[in-house]
Amino acid sequence: MKRVKALMMLMFLVTFLSGCWDIKDIDKRVLPLVIGISKVNNEDYKVTVQIPITKKDGEISRIVTSIDENVSSALGQIKTNSENAVDYSHVRLVIIQSDLSDNKEELKQLVTFLMTSREFPTNAQLAFTDVPIEELLSNINDKLGVDSTSLYDFFNKGAGWAPEILSTRIWEVYRSMFSYTEDITIPIVDPGKDTVINYKGAVALKLGELTQRIDPNETQLIKLFQNKNAKGKIENVGFASVMVTSSAIENKTLIESNKPVVSINVKLKIHVLEREAGISNERIKKDLEKLIEERFNKMFEKAQENKTDIFGFGQYFRNQIPYDDLKKWREGYYPDLKVDFQVHTSME
Amino acid sequence: MIQKLQIGFIFIIMYVSLNHLFYPDLILQLTNYGHWGVVFCQGLLQLFLIWIYIKGLSYFPQQDVIDICLKIGKPIAFILLIPFVISLTVLVTINNRLHTDVIISIFLPRTPSWPVLVLLFFITTYIALTGLGTILRASFFIFFMVIPLLLMITFTSFINIDWYNAAPIRPPSINFLIEKNFFYLMGYSAFLPLGFMVYKTALTFRSIFLAWMCVMFFSLSSVYIPLLIFGQESAISLTFSMVRAIYTVDVDWFFLNKQSMFLGLSLIGFTVILNAVLLWVIGRIMQKLLRWIKVEISYWIIAFSVVAFLGALMVPSLAWTERIFFWSVGAQVFFMIIIPLTIYIYGFIIKRRTAFYEEG
Repeated sequence: MKRVKALMMLMFLVTFLSGCWDIKDIDKRVLPLVIGISKVNNEDYKVTVQIPITKKDGEISRIVTSIDENVSSALGQIKTNSENAVDYSHVRLVIIQSDLSDNKEELKQLVTFLMTSREFPTNAQLAFTDVPIEELLSNINDKLGVDSTSLYDFFNKGAGWAPEILSTRIWEVYRSMFSYTEDITIPIVDPGKDTVINYKGAVALKLGELTQRIDPNETQLIKLFQNKNAKGKIENVGFASVMVTSSAIENKTLIESNKPVVSINVKLKIHVLEREAGISNERIKKDLEKLIEERFNKMFEKAQENKTDIFGFGQYFRNQIPYDDLKKWREGYYPDLKVDFQVHTSME
Repeated sequence: MIQKLQIGFIFIIMYVSLNHLFYPDLILQLTNYGHWGVVFCQGLLQLFLIWIYIKGLSYFPQQDVIDICLKIGKPIAFILLIPFVISLTVLVTINNRLHTDVIISIFLPRTPSWPVLVLLFFITTYIALTGLGTILRASFFIFFMVIPLLLMITFTSFINIDWYNAAPIRPPSINFLIEKNFFYLMGYSAFLPLGFMVYKTALTFRSIFLAWMCVMFFSLSSVYIPLLIFGQESAISLTFSMVRAIYTVDVDWFFLNKQSMFLGLSLIGFTVILNAVLLWVIGRIMQKLLRWIKVEISYWIIAFSVVAFLGALMVPSLAWTERIFFWSVGAQVFFMIIIPLTIYIYGFIIKRRTAFYEEG
């Protein structure tokens, strides 16, 4: 009796464990890599999806557009109209057009949707663009011999990746929209004339509101503060150009009569690529230090004016300011923040 | 010795299975900073109850909770254990449902929940039917398969963390002790079923204490991973923040860059064992209490498993699961306090009485 029962149980398991429910085989699926979102007539959302076609050496992609009241239904529409199963779980990049990103509430809603949607990977990257999305996406197909995954490759860290390019993920944007002490920067891209993409720097986002634009040159500093290595960045000091081979950052914080003070020490190891005749190492070092310090001070001044904590200084003070006061960080403490920023360079 | 080890493993499995879903969310809602204080307070309270439980059970060697309750008196046993069976059934229901939802969100976004439920139902019932010995042995394997996965998830999530998010680290005032949510936290307990296994081997406080330390590690990591990744302010806005936190990890160099898969797999392994144990406890209670009906334990297990399955099927949404969960947790807390205390006090009285007789 017991054996019969066990056998029956096993039979059920065989039926249900075979693992095929509503599965479409991999060759019947399309995996969009890039999704662009914009608005039409200030009302409906327009979703553009770039789908690489795997059959032809991976060089061609298809662009599919759909317009609907909200993003999820537009995404659903693409699914319905596609002859293959559309699987959004491999999206690596979401590009938002500036007419949508300028609206604080809509942007917040969109990021929340991307974050909480079941089908969407939250570690996809986010970027903004000023030009119509189709133009950006179709730019890939127009360029001869460019791979259909190039948009994603552009942001992907790997060999030959430019260090000043920021990569911001959906969950990081979501986090910053709630955080009391940290703001975030999102990269901006345009279609390039000769290349697929043109990196235009970044934009600072404060609780879903865009506050300032940041130069491509300056975004490097933000990466440094996010504790990512500044390795590979080429700086032009005028009479010489150097490459940063490694970087480290140290900070000390204190609160003086209710005003926060941070002192930052950046240590850079550099390698001189080319120089004019007769320029000493000391001079190059000094000029580079001055250049980066000035760049930082300019950036910080602007950020302080906008009350946007793009460097995330507030994070350093989380343990020193009572939790309930952290809410006032952007308005109360940040404008009074003093930063002593010093760069020390050494030659390799 | 192996038996003791197995009981330790099953203790860890049952706790961790429950802990990764609601536990971090509850802790994050309970306090804005110093989360470790709350985790430890909750853990110590549980440890205290476990101590009472083991002390109480040690008065009755080779007897489990059902025997002891029957010894106190049949009415008491019925009043105490039948509601307990009901609350366990509800727990199995919620477990099935919750883990189904999580599995679907990780692996199968387009599959309806019932096929997953059916699968969970068959596997757990089958394991429960095989009896305690098999469950304990299976727990051994599951433990060694899943714990490395969980450790890997914990360590790879370090990629995204920001230590500043844990601050302020100073624990808050102990006001949280009287909050309703803290009371709910207490309900995350898996030590009660241990009292039904003791007819095979005696529980020792030392082995349970070691297991408890492991559980504390996993509890802390399940709270701190979402906290360090998202920060307090955004972590409280997410449901299943632990699962969400694992989603963010992107390990490009690894052959599977989806860490959430591993979490899903480990949760399935754990929940199957947890449910099997609960069903087995239910079956044993029913068989022993209603001895005159003369039904084999397997029929009770199947019957209650079907009830739990139908229940899980009828829960309309995740919001409802949450609501039912909180109701059932209230009942769990009640039994967690009442059953160890009853056994302890009764054992104490019996011991006093026999000592008195021996003297006289």
